[in-house]
Amino acid sequence: MDSSKNSEQFVRQLTEHQNRIYGYVYSLLGDHSRTSDVVQEINLTLWRKIDEYQADRPFLPWAFAFARFQVLAHLRDHKRDRLLLDAELAEKLSGEIEQGSSQVDSIRVALRACLQELTPANRKLIEHRYFNSMSVADIAEASDRTSGAIKVAMLRIREKLADCVQKRIALENV
Amino acid sequence: MTSVREELASLLFDWEAGTLDDQGIERVRDLLRGDEDARAFFIQHQALSSALSLEADAKIAPPATEVPSKKSTSPTYGFGFWAAAATALLFCGLAGRLAYLEFSDSNTASVATSQQEVTSSGIALVTNLVDVEFDSQDDVLEIGEALSPGRLSIKSGFAQIEFFCGATLIVEGPAEIDLKSSSLARVASGRLRAQVPPAARGFSIEVDDMKVVDLGTEFGLSVSSDGADIQVFDGEVEVHSPEKDKRLLTAGQAVTRNSAGEFSSGEVTPDRFLDIASMESRSIGQRAARYESWKNFSDSLRRDPRSIAYYSFDEQGGWERKLQSSITPDNNELDGAIVGARRVQGRWPSKSGLEFKRPGDRVRVQIPGEFASLTFACWVKIDSLDRWYNSLFLTDSYNQGEPHWQILDTGQLFFSVRHKPDDIGGKPMKGPTHREVLSPPFWHPSMSGRWLHLATTYDADAGKTTHYLNGDILHEETIAKDLLVKTTRIGAASIGNWSIPIKPDAEYAVRNLNGSIDEFMIMSSALGADEIKEIFENGKP
Repeated sequence: MDSSKNSEQFVRQLTEHQNRIYGYVYSLLGDHSRTSDVVQEINLTLWRKIDEYQADRPFLPWAFAFARFQVLAHLRDHKRDRLLLDAELAEKLSGEIEQGSSQVDSIRVALRACLQELTPANRKLIEHRYFNSMSVADIAEASDRTSGAIKVAMLRIREKLADCVQKRIALENV
Repeated sequence: MTSVREELASLLFDWEAGTLDDQGIERVRDLLRGDEDARAFFIQHQALSSALSLEADAKIAPPATEVPSKKSTSPTYGFGFWAAAATALLFCGLAGRLAYLEFSDSNTASVATSQQEVTSSGIALVTNLVDVEFDSQDDVLEIGEALSPGRLSIKSGFAQIEFFCGATLIVEGPAEIDLKSSSLARVASGRLRAQVPPAARGFSIEVDDMKVVDLGTEFGLSVSSDGADIQVFDGEVEVHSPEKDKRLLTAGQAVTRNSAGEFSSGEVTPDRFLDIASMESRSIGQRAARYESWKNFSDSLRRDPRSIAYYSFDEQGGWERKLQSSITPDNNELDGAIVGARRVQGRWPSKSGLEFKRPGDRVRVQIPGEFASLTFACWVKIDSLDRWYNSLFLTDSYNQGEPHWQILDTGQLFFSVRHKPDDIGGKPMKGPTHREVLSPPFWHPSMSGRWLHLATTYDADAGKTTHYLNGDILHEETIAKDLLVKTTRIGAASIGNWSIPIKPDAEYAVRNLNGSIDEFMIMSSALGADEIKEIFENGKP
């Protein structure tokens, strides 16, 4: 295969799997800005390894191997920062998280439908928190409730969403 | 007493809110280290958070107002595009991801809560093509295509272009034209006839430093390296040039301007310029010929031993509520039952198609047997993608080995074969139950009403799924071994909708196609790119 064809295929795959790589890294780091940085590093690493890339082999397992390495390196290099997981735990969870992340697109599809099932008020809460990145305190103030009340409400909504998403995926409504 | 899950959910909520203290972080880690259930919950929790975050990015991505221009409607992305995408990914990080999301989502304004009005730029439409040939693949025009400003080049034959201002041009190749706006074109070479109704007065054509302004008329223009020849058949035109003051030409007058800029009067020869009526009659002849040639080709598909199911939508006579199988030898077990869908005109005036409109519209089929590789192909005219999933062909429910072929509201072609054993009604399965293969978005509302050829091949040996649009590869992907399905089966299925035998959530099961289908085939082998191309070439309207 000539090299431009190979690069094209490579970039196609990289683009195709961006969300899955993002999902994987986010799951382990739990922090959006760190995740963006690490995904960036992973993309660069993969790009440098393009010569090792073989179009006829599945892309994702190959990419996840580098992603895992980068996440672990990040956790070790930033040991002094406030991190959710340590390297040891991340390593332990990595395999299962790979599995979970390969499903991120199905989860998104299910999620969209599940969001529509929420009451308008509950959907608003999710939108404020996740889509408009409002802080819990701001949401509390805007809705004239306490932060504690918002937390209780949000936990309940998330539980509902998680159930709904799981059900839809299990039913394999696809 | 709070369960482990509840405790972890609360801790992770605080973590995301940025208020979890060191003690809390330690507690999260302890739970994850010691408790399998906590780990399972964590993985699910984080996946949902990632998905929420990806959805959020999709919503804040800027609306896509840019519309595929004439050149970028080509379904295969050149290396340039991918190189650009790579650069974006590499150097913009998050922005690169946004670019992808934007690319995948907002083109069809699918985001339910913040819909953008769909926009479509363009200055003219291709309304007819006769015997037309092009120099390169980049130049190819299709009937119904919207043209953006830019170059238009034909090698031979005739193209009818309708400008949005109301003017119609019939261009005869070889011709090289630069479309400037909805009322201005620049002609480098070629012969054309312009018909400009009063509403489109002011439509202008530039040739070199000369400008021909139409005052409501019909005129011919022929441009070559020797100069330009302008002939007025009806009404009047103004000719502006640097050498002379503007001059007015009226019906029956003609001028020739040589390459030195000198004018001389010429003769009016309307016969040398094809008019709209002759264009139409030629195109009827051409359509009839294409229909005949498709019929011949279709005969070979009927007899192809690889055909599992083939509906040409061309069976004569009483197929009112029945979609006759076209396979030879006849097998009426394969006939489909038409539910709701209406019979409409197909790709050619004398051929039928079926229109799927209402949520219940569908064709029910029953296709027995077990297969390995598969090919799905059909001609479809999409009116719009209204549903999350817009069905092309779905087996009832979704059991092991069954394929699902559909289009997402994002305009992506979707194909999957269920890998896990049946679990409807049973215990939900853990882990992925199939590997869906999604093409990049191929559809934009500007393509609505055009016949498109879609095909997907599934190679069960190589584990490869390939999507095609109009004979060209749209996307190819290899499926990991653990999710590859070797034995496929169809059984009861629907064209253009989804039928689930058990009742769940009827609201969600609405997956009807909004559009028409003309010709549908399933083959027991993964056809090669050349064969798909052949089917497209022989079937295009």
